[in-house]
Order: sequence, then C-alpha cells, then structure tokens
Amino acid sequence: MIKYIVRRTIQAIPVLFGITIVVYGILLAAPGGPTAKFAQNPRITQEMKEDFKRAWGLDQPVPVQYCRWMGFCSKEVDAKILGVLPAPAAFIGPKGWPNLLPTPLSGASNGVLHGDFGFSISTGELVNKAISRAALPTLILASSALVVWLVVAILIGVYAAIHRYSLFDQAATVFAYVGYAMPTFWLGIMLIFLFSGPGLNILPAGGMTETRVSPPFGSDDYWVYFGANTVAAILDIGKHLILPLFTLVVVSIAGDSRFVRASMLEALGQDYVRTAKAKGLPARTVTFKHALRNAMLPVVTNIGLELPLLFTGAIVTETIFSWPGMGRLTIQAINSFDYPVLMGILLIAATLTVFANLLADVAYAVVDPRITY
Amino acid sequence: MTETLSAPAPLGSPPAHEVLLDVRDMKTHFKVLDGIVPAVDGVSFSLGRGQTLGIVGESGSGKSVTALTIMRLLDIPPAVIGAESEVWFDGREILHMPLDSMRRIRGKDMAMIFQEPLTSLNPVLSIGEQIGEQVRLHLKVSRHEARDRSIESLRSVGIPSPEARIKQFPHEMSGGMRQRVMIAMALSCEPKLLIADEPTTALDVTIQAQILELLKVIQQRTGSALLLITHDLGVVAEMVDHVVVMYAGQVVEQGTANEVMLEPKAPYTMGLLESIPTAEKRGGRLSVIKGVVPSPFHLPPACRFEPRCPYAWDLCHEVAPELYPVVGSGSGRRARCHLHQAAGESRRVAALELHADAMRVGRGLKEDPA
Repeated sequence: MIKYIVRRTIQAIPVLFGITIVVYGILLAAPGGPTAKFAQNPRITQEMKEDFKRAWGLDQPVPVQYCRWMGFCSKEVDAKILGVLPAPAAFIGPKGWPNLLPTPLSGASNGVLHGDFGFSISTGELVNKAISRAALPTLILASSALVVWLVVAILIGVYAAIHRYSLFDQAATVFAYVGYAMPTFWLGIMLIFLFSGPGLNILPAGGMTETRVSPPFGSDDYWVYFGANTVAAILDIGKHLILPLFTLVVVSIAGDSRFVRASMLEALGQDYVRTAKAKGLPARTVTFKHALRNAMLPVVTNIGLELPLLFTGAIVTETIFSWPGMGRLTIQAINSFDYPVLMGILLIAATLTVFANLLADVAYAVVDPRITY
Repeated sequence: MTETLSAPAPLGSPPAHEVLLDVRDMKTHFKVLDGIVPAVDGVSFSLGRGQTLGIVGESGSGKSVTALTIMRLLDIPPAVIGAESEVWFDGREILHMPLDSMRRIRGKDMAMIFQEPLTSLNPVLSIGEQIGEQVRLHLKVSRHEARDRSIESLRSVGIPSPEARIKQFPHEMSGGMRQRVMIAMALSCEPKLLIADEPTTALDVTIQAQILELLKVIQQRTGSALLLITHDLGVVAEMVDHVVVMYAGQVVEQGTANEVMLEPKAPYTMGLLESIPTAEKRGGRLSVIKGVVPSPFHLPPACRFEPRCPYAWDLCHEVAPELYPVVGSGSGRRARCHLHQAAGESRRVAALELHADAMRVGRGLKEDPA
C-alpha cells in the first residue's frame, strides 16, 4: 500500500508538469492581457505600457516567461536562442548549479519549484500570501459543506432505499430533480432575497463576518478580536455560513442521494443480504453492516471525483455571498488578467484533483478487501 | 421487513412432538404488475425430528419460495402469505409470529444454505466475522469464544487450517470452499433444521458429490433435520427419506424416496423419471415431458399438468384433482391425479404399464416415427 502511494505520487509529477504547460498556454492564448485594463485610460501612453510590461517581464518570449515562472531559468540571465527560447546559460543559477535545484544549492529562489508563485499583477501582493489568505475561508466553507453533503446524502439515500416508494422516497426524488436542476447562482440569489431581504432579514446577505463588529477576517486585528471573543466570533461565522453552505451542497446532495439510493437498493437485493437475514441478524445490522458497506464502494469513488469540485466549484457561491475565499479570488484574478494569481490557483486545484483521486483509490482499497495494490 | 398481515388467523393445534416442521396449506402469492403469481398454492407436508425430506421440482415449481416462506425471508409485499396458512416449527407457529421472535429462531434453530456460494457470502467481511457475528448473536458468547466456535465449525466441514481461513475473505476461496463456509455458518449454532436450497447446483460435479456427502455426514452426526430442495432426482435418491414433488406451485406426489423413485404414481413424476437417460435406453431418443410449464398467469383450469399429460381425459380438464391417497400404500403416500380415485381406476393400470414400459426401453425408441 505504501509502495502504491509512493508510486502514484511520483506518477503525479509528470501529470502536474503537463498541466502547468497546458494551463500557461491557454491563459496566454486568451485575448486581452494585463495591459488591457489600461485601454480605457487616455492618460496611459504606449510607452508607459511598454515600461509596465518590461517591469513584469511580460516583454519576454513566452517560453522564457514560462521557464522563469517555473524556476527552471534564472531571472538575471537574458540570453536567448533564436530570440525565442531560453539559452542554456539561463538554466544556471547564481551559484553555478542548475537553477531548478533547491535554493541552498542553486542560490535561486524564483519560480514555482522554489515555492515562489510571484506577485499579483493587480495588487502587487505576493501570490502565496493572497492564496493563503483566501485558503482558510474556503477550507471552512468546503469542509463544512463536505460533512453536511456526505451525511445528508447518505442518510437520505439509505432511508429512501430502505423505504422504497414511500412518501419520503417520493419526496426525496422530487427534491433531487429540483435540486439538481437548480442553477447555483439563481438559488443563491433567491436565498438572499428570502432570508436577507426586507421581509425576513434573519441571515446576513454576504461576507464572512459582521464587519461593523469585527475587523476583516484574516487580518492580524481579527485574530486579536477572535482570541478575545471566540464564541461570538465562531457564531458570527456560523451565521454567515448558513446560506452559502446550503447553496453549495444542494446540488451535490441532490445528485449523491440518488446515487446512494441506487447503490443501496442494489446491495439490499444481493444474496448476501438474504444470508444475513437468514442468520437472524437484526434489521439494523443487516442494513448498516452488510448492505451499506457494500453500497458505499461505488459512492467512495464518486466522492473522490467530486472532492476537488468543492474547492474550485465554490466560485459561483463565493462570489454571490462575497465569501473571501479561493473562488472569489479566482474571479477577481480572471477579471484583472492577474496571471500569476490565476496560475497559482489553477496549479493548486490541479494538485488537489490528482491527490483526491489518489485518496479515493486508497479509500477504495480500505473498504473493499478484494482490491489490493 | 414490514408486517402487513392484518388479523392473526385462528391457529390449529400444534403437531405431535416428534414432528419438527409442519407446513399446512401454505399459500405464497406475488403481487406483480401483470397480476398475481401463485408461486406456492396450498402446499402441506411435515418433517420429523432428525429426518430428511426432499422437495423436487423444475424451475418455477415453487420449491425455493416454499423454503423462503418457511424462513420468512420474502419481502411482504410483493409477497402475500395466505392468512389460513400455517407453519409449525418445534411446537410453535412461525408464519404469523412477530418478526422479532422469528429472528431469534432464524440462524439458531433453523438455518439455510443457498444455491450460490459465490454471492451468498458478504464480499467485504472476513469469514470469521461472518460466522462469528451469528454465534455471538444467538449464543451470547464473547468475541473470543465465538472465534473458537467459528474455527471449530469450519474444521467440522473439512476446511483445512481453519485458524488461517477465518481471516480470509470470500474472494480468496474456491466455490466448493465457500459452500463449505456456508454450511459451517449454518451449523455454527447447531440448528434443529437445516434447509438446503439447491446447495450443489452452482458447483463442479466432483465438488457436488463432496458437498452432498458432507451434508449427509453432518446430518447424521448432529441429528438435525434436513430439508433439501433440488431439481436433481439423483440427489434425492441419494440423500433423503421422504420426497415431495412439486409442479406449478402444488404438491403433486409425496412418499418415501424409494416409493416415489421406483413406483411413481403421478404422471408428472413418471415423466420426470422417464426423462432420465440410462444405459438401457442407449441409442434411443431422450424422452421428454412434452410442452412447457404453464405461465403462472394462465394456469390450466383444473389439473395444472393436464395439457402436458399423456394420460389425461375429459375429467382432468374439468375438475381439479386432489392429493388422493395411493391405493394399497401407506398413509404418507399421495398423488395429485384422477387416476388415483374411483373414476380413474380403469385407466390407472394401463398408465402404470405404459410407464413401466417406458422405463425399460425408453419411450422415444418405440415411438420414434423416423
């Protein structure tokens, strides 16, 4: 098993490397660019735009840009072959060793390989910092969504399967179709309209904290405030979490409760369930020990595939509810052609996808003894 | 899993003590979209303590449903159990008792072995866990003791190195081994009745003989009663004391194994026995029962075997035959055929002669038009 995990991790390296090339290429092929935001500003001359590009290294040929961003090439060396490709000299770091080696050896600290994602073009902030600031809110939203999603989907699915064609099952079916068909953006706005509008006004319409009471989430001041009023701060976040959480999980619950139901029905019809009944086991043991464990096998795979969606798929939800997470950061980066931030987010999302798949495969082997790696 | 029986039917009196299982007028129907399937339609038989009984019949004759009804393993609905049906087991009526009480009997006093050892074991639980959970539940013993009992049970069915086997999963075993595990599981709580539903159908011929031999040895050693369900007449001759032959949800003949196999009285049983290829019939055409099993939605109006019966006459089309006692035999010997009542007296001798003839040379050889 350990060997398998190590092998899969090593296999992930070329995959992720390929992803960086593809994503970089697609981003640069998109129309516009970091200078597009100056187009409507008459006071910015062509010369100023060129200076801006040169300062960010955007004047370099694409292979050179990519090479530097990855950390294969040194930023200081300007040598090129055919005017497009980086020259061999560019691959050597300040200490005379290849630039891609770890900082103590090569003396280089630029590029993804050295953990440096560069600076945000629109704010000048370090990409690492922008992402780590947005990661915690997303983690809070995604992990709570994951728990609610799995628990509710499995409960609905199992109960509907045991009581097939009952009123509950019919209601769950209707909910699943409606929920699955509901566009997230529309649902989010309707929820705001219902619960935060002038009528009820019982839940906040957006944000993560009550900004009139506490400092902005993530700032140093906030953590001081959090330490002093822990309970109130957690309750405050919880209150802000309800609507985005609901919006986020409805589609997943709708889809997966159907999936669990189908899987459970199949398991309940199996011969080993009849054997379990014939052994005189109580209904609860038959359902949960014998049927559910088998029913969860396909569900585990499905969950593994859906897991990354939670981190990237929160884009719409986070934007609607002004949740200061990765999704909103992604939208902001796209709108301002902030390539360094966007590349950082996409690379993290790709890594999560690769490892979520690995996690699903490992979990599969844990629950199913027939599978060995 | 749910009880839908409205009012408990007035029960008859329990059978004598030496009768372990007494099935009375069992009716199990299935409500399906196209109508009602009378899978078991008024079946009665009884089985003494420590005795063996075989239920024989082709696919769809209702023999498996009979076993599942006794075990109360059918989902209600779609299954509907007749309110007047009764099953007495060990002095108690079990067909209408609360399911909770039935659960305490299932797996402990009454155990079942299924046809498919490949799918009847849970693929994600170890052998030890699957046997052990049953032992822990019924005998209220510790985990450790349950483990010892599981090992003992596996050893008793001839599984080598059972200490290692209990850690294994079903997929790590062969079909024959899995069926042994099923038998070990069924025997783990020393049941009074063992129901085996086609226990060898899914196995290799060589393994079949081993499993049957094992069942026989175990049955004799533990003294439990055995209800063996099969379509294999050879197995019946080998294994059981008494036989019940089923056709289209009804008992058509019953008697001791020797009586039924050597002197069948119902035309259906005669046809079954005639269709067995033997060395004497070599070179002849295989004899078959003509026609097909009737659809459960369109059963013949009177005798259900009448459209396929070579001895049928007008009466068979008009009046449904009862299970008549066979003339000149013991009380347990019965056949569902008009040949065995006064109106069929004259035809009976001719029919039995025809059958004897067919058994000697094979009817196919004689009637072959080519």
